[in-house]
Amino acid sequence: MEKVIIIRYAEIHLKGKNRGYFERVFAVNLEKSLKGMRHELHRMSGRWLVEKFDQAQAEEIETRISRVFGVHSYSLGYLVGSELDEIYAGVRLVAPREGTFKVETHRGYKRYPMTSPEISAAIGGRLIHDFPALRVDVHTPQNTVYIDVRENGAALVFGSFESGAGGMPVGTAGRGLLLISGGIDSPVAGYMMAKRGMTVELLHFHSYPYTNEGAKEKVITLARILSKYSLTARITTVKMTEIQESIHKHCAEELNVTLLRRFMFRVAERIARARKAQCLVTGESLGQVASQTMEGLASSNAVVTLPVLRPLIGFDKEEIITLAKKIGTFETSILPYEDCCTVFLPEFPAIKPKLDYIEREESKLDVETLVNNALSTAEIIDL
Amino acid sequence: MIYFDNAATTRPDGAAFDKAAQYTRENFFNPSASYGGGFLVHGALEEARSALLSHVADPAKFALYFTSGGTEADNHAVLCGARRGNAVASAGEHAAVERAFNELKNRGVEPRFAPLNRDGSVDTDRLLSLVDGQTSLVSVMHVNNETGAVNDVAAIARAVKKKNPRTLFMSDGVQAYGKLAFRLTDEIDLYTVSAHKIGGLKGTGALIKRKSLALPPFVHGGGQEGGMRSGTENIFGILDFRYAAEKKFASLGADGVRLAEYKKRLASALSARYTVLSSEGSPYILTVSLEGGRGEVLQRMLWDRGVVVGTGSACSSKHRHSRVIAACGYGEKILDGVLRISFSAETTEEEIGRAAVALDEVAREFTDKV
Repeated sequence: MEKVIIIRYAEIHLKGKNRGYFERVFAVNLEKSLKGMRHELHRMSGRWLVEKFDQAQAEEIETRISRVFGVHSYSLGYLVGSELDEIYAGVRLVAPREGTFKVETHRGYKRYPMTSPEISAAIGGRLIHDFPALRVDVHTPQNTVYIDVRENGAALVFGSFESGAGGMPVGTAGRGLLLISGGIDSPVAGYMMAKRGMTVELLHFHSYPYTNEGAKEKVITLARILSKYSLTARITTVKMTEIQESIHKHCAEELNVTLLRRFMFRVAERIARARKAQCLVTGESLGQVASQTMEGLASSNAVVTLPVLRPLIGFDKEEIITLAKKIGTFETSILPYEDCCTVFLPEFPAIKPKLDYIEREESKLDVETLVNNALSTAEIIDL
Repeated sequence: MIYFDNAATTRPDGAAFDKAAQYTRENFFNPSASYGGGFLVHGALEEARSALLSHVADPAKFALYFTSGGTEADNHAVLCGARRGNAVASAGEHAAVERAFNELKNRGVEPRFAPLNRDGSVDTDRLLSLVDGQTSLVSVMHVNNETGAVNDVAAIARAVKKKNPRTLFMSDGVQAYGKLAFRLTDEIDLYTVSAHKIGGLKGTGALIKRKSLALPPFVHGGGQEGGMRSGTENIFGILDFRYAAEKKFASLGADGVRLAEYKKRLASALSARYTVLSSEGSPYILTVSLEGGRGEVLQRMLWDRGVVVGTGSACSSKHRHSRVIAACGYGEKILDGVLRISFSAETTEEEIGRAAVALDEVAREFTDKV
């Protein structure tokens, strides 16, 4: 009797004539997530089946599948022979021991000597006989035992559903460039976009020697966790040191962060175009910090033409933290690090800077040269 | 690379390393085993113990127990030495002592901290005023690891005992052992040392204890180290410690004189841009500050120039300043820009000159840009 995993997908079935494309991407993503582990992936009537894997790796395979976007639910079940005794042996392993239940049979192999209701009734009867605490309830059962009789004398049995990550297969909804810091928010923003099928490229800004290598290491760790969902393979880093120094030296202190954000967006847009990304993605949430006021957000948007997606814009910090914990980035995000040296932090940052004031201060800088210099420091790190 | 962060750790002594490695490869037996090989290794262990102790104390009066390092030795001394009433430490103690003192609160012992003088040495009068009839332990580090200030521990121990003869006196000697000429006096009950600050390896240290003092063990188990510190001894680290220490103690006087001269020269070269916080004290440590600078940033700028130094401040907004330098009474601007430059016996005159240039450059660059 072989352990197998049955995978059901989420919204793909809504996709009408494009369904084939979504299914293909989904299958590729499943294969990617199972890379390095022995397995076979087969499609069967609107579902996928993982079989022939090392039974000891079942748990790891389940974990990996649970992170693939597009998976609605999955079940660990057994591949058994199609003789009724063989089916029942498998059913015993997945069936409940008490409470109400029903048996639901799907008979893909139409030449099987029994009909689906007959199989359900026979198996259900045996269960009640063996486990007297079980009761049949075909309308609202607490548990359902599923039997799928297939061709070549095989059948699948399984008893429960685990929720998948939901969403759409990564790669089916365009490409975005996520500005990732070492904080809590940006990895969650990346997760949200990947969940809707976006391919997420990563960009990290540092300002060595004002920030340290520890911050970079931390971001790489975060990116690796995120990549388990987003399947992202690399991260680009850009050094913002010269820009930060220039702003600090020449511009009004209260605008330090506002101006830095504008430069980050400019650099990000250039990187995005080079990576064929169609938008920028940030972890900004309205009003969370001084630079995330509507004025602050608008002043950043004013320097780019690509759309800027902010999937966390309406989230409270608590909500973001809950998600960060769920996806596993929280523990790393709260490790001590600084994304900005205290020398550059204004004592009183401007909360509602006017655009003409910002532009006047910024005009003291050679924006184009600074952006080009920063771009020349870009490094790509494979995850 | 010019390595001037020797107060953090030193480059392992190659000859000591090779000698200890060869011995360990050939004689891997458990020193507690009661066959020939065990006795052989036990003999080497005892020789190392005696040699390391004799450098600073009379083996008739003191005993030495190997530990996993200075931190463990400090914790042993504090947590097993302060059993009741209160315990007094200088505000300059290394975290290994300071944190252990704070842990005493959970064990019903009141920790008290004595303020520092400007140079990082303890204010002896204030320290003594905290000692009373209920004081079970006093801890004063020998050489301050952040400023290099030297406490006259023999005199302080004497004064403590005069006030309360039942009070135990301990001193963290991690930055003194192998660098400063001294002998343990009868009033010092406990003294801790570490191997990797003098060319030995990380993971090896020792607690030196006055023989007549009964101190309970801290790590329990198979009864090694006379029951004081269970766990099979780290023979490799211990032998390496022995050989590294032998070398250091052989030239200790001459090294001290030479480094004092280097320190003076570097301090004077830096005084144009930096505030010198430790002109006196251990010749091994020079602490300076670039006012309004950021120690951690300067440290990385120096690293990129091939000069490695320590720092007393971080770029972060939390725990930004050194607790110890702050206790010396310096303001924020000084605290922000602290660099600790620490030498070893291998430090050369030429390195001093090159480091002075690099330190001057980064100060200028930082001031220019920020």
